[in-house]
Amino acid sequence: MAKRIVATGLSAYYGDTKAISDVSLTIEPKSVTALIGPSGCGKSTFLRTLNRMHEVIPGARVEGQVLLDDQDLYGEGVDAVEVRRTIGMVFQRPNPFPTMSIYGNVASGLKLNGIKGKQRLDEAVERSLRGANLWNEVKDRLGKPGAGLSGGQQQRLCIARAIAVEPDVLLMDEPCSSLDPISTLAIEDLMNELKDRYTIVIVTHNMQQAARVSDTTGFFTIDGPGQPGRLVEIDATVKIFSNPSEQRTEDYITGRFG
Amino acid sequence: MRDSYHEQLAEVGDGLIEMSRLVGLAVSQATTALLASDLAAADAVIAGDQAVNDLYHQLDDVAVQLLARQQPVATDLRAIVTGLRMSSDLERVGDYAVHIAKVARRRHPSSVVPVELRATILEMGQAATRIAVKAGTVIATRDLTLAAQLLADDDTIDDLHAQLFEQLLSGSFEHGVEAAIDLALVGRYYERLADHAVSVSHAVTYLVTGEHSDPESYAAET
Repeated sequence: MAKRIVATGLSAYYGDTKAISDVSLTIEPKSVTALIGPSGCGKSTFLRTLNRMHEVIPGARVEGQVLLDDQDLYGEGVDAVEVRRTIGMVFQRPNPFPTMSIYGNVASGLKLNGIKGKQRLDEAVERSLRGANLWNEVKDRLGKPGAGLSGGQQQRLCIARAIAVEPDVLLMDEPCSSLDPISTLAIEDLMNELKDRYTIVIVTHNMQQAARVSDTTGFFTIDGPGQPGRLVEIDATVKIFSNPSEQRTEDYITGRFG
Repeated sequence: MRDSYHEQLAEVGDGLIEMSRLVGLAVSQATTALLASDLAAADAVIAGDQAVNDLYHQLDDVAVQLLARQQPVATDLRAIVTGLRMSSDLERVGDYAVHIAKVARRRHPSSVVPVELRATILEMGQAATRIAVKAGTVIATRDLTLAAQLLADDDTIDDLHAQLFEQLLSGSFEHGVEAAIDLALVGRYYERLADHAVSVSHAVTYLVTGEHSDPESYAAET
């Protein structure tokens, strides 16, 4: 649980186009790391390289190394599907399985991983829904469709689904951008609780959100059209937002460019 | 919701209350040092100011963190903005206590205060301690009635300050220029520190109401 990620010299391509260039950074366990930067800076691409989701797109490939503790995620013989179980992902738009009940959504990953028996599933579903701060709101209607929940509840359902399989890392790609402010705060509070047990990486367009929820912030940018994205600096969030080391970061967070 | 944010906000309030407790103690001890020519008390005030300064910087850091990370609004925003001002005022109160202690230290083992002025200085010291402590209570309770009372307490100190000057300039003062300067300075220190306590009470009024206190009375005091 809660493992450290070390990326070294990581570049990602879409066909011939280099999307990110030579990113090296460490993501500490039991903390929230936020990745910020202007559109097209490669922060989401970088996130998707961390659980081998990038290569799902035809022609996409990755160079460099990603270590999860001492396991090389791009090493020979590593099963990408297993990587995605270990490193869960929550997406921008809540995407519960539309035909499944609330219970079914959370139990789906467990069943795929061979967990059987009603009692074991019941326990795991309750634990996951509690972990996602959703249990009290849905415990009386577990058989109802997940798609019938509000946007904020659906996103917490997706988080419950992601943590049900007990991953080491949770990746979140703009998890609040389609939510109202109160649901956003609920998710932010949840991140704060989940970081006791998981390594969390969040990509967000919302700088204020990065400032609120994260312990560490990494700033990505692009130097011009057609250029690959790169990491400018990564540091303690309070440092990034009060006294960043790089002028480029300061210009971005103060709204002077990007 | 936002538990860690509210904890940090509470840290600002708690820090201010602790600062006011420390400077209230310092003003009281400095007065003892002055009237009893108590060297140990003077040294304690001077050494103790470090803790006040540390808190002052600590509060600055917490406030900057909150502003940078939490986008505080409404009362929360005023709590931080006024918190920065109040900590600066309290830090100055602590400095004036140190100034008073240093006068006592410089004249030790002689006394700074001649017999005929002891009553005035004692009264000033007590009133200044009271106002410093009251400023802390105003911060803790946000009680605007108490905040208004502080203005009256300050008037008492201003009157005593004027009275001290009259005594120094009356022609009957026979302890020399140096002693007169010491006493004039000590009187000024008490008067100034009380003004900073008044400034704290204005800040609390603004924190609670969002309205500035009467700027004329504010200007008259500073």
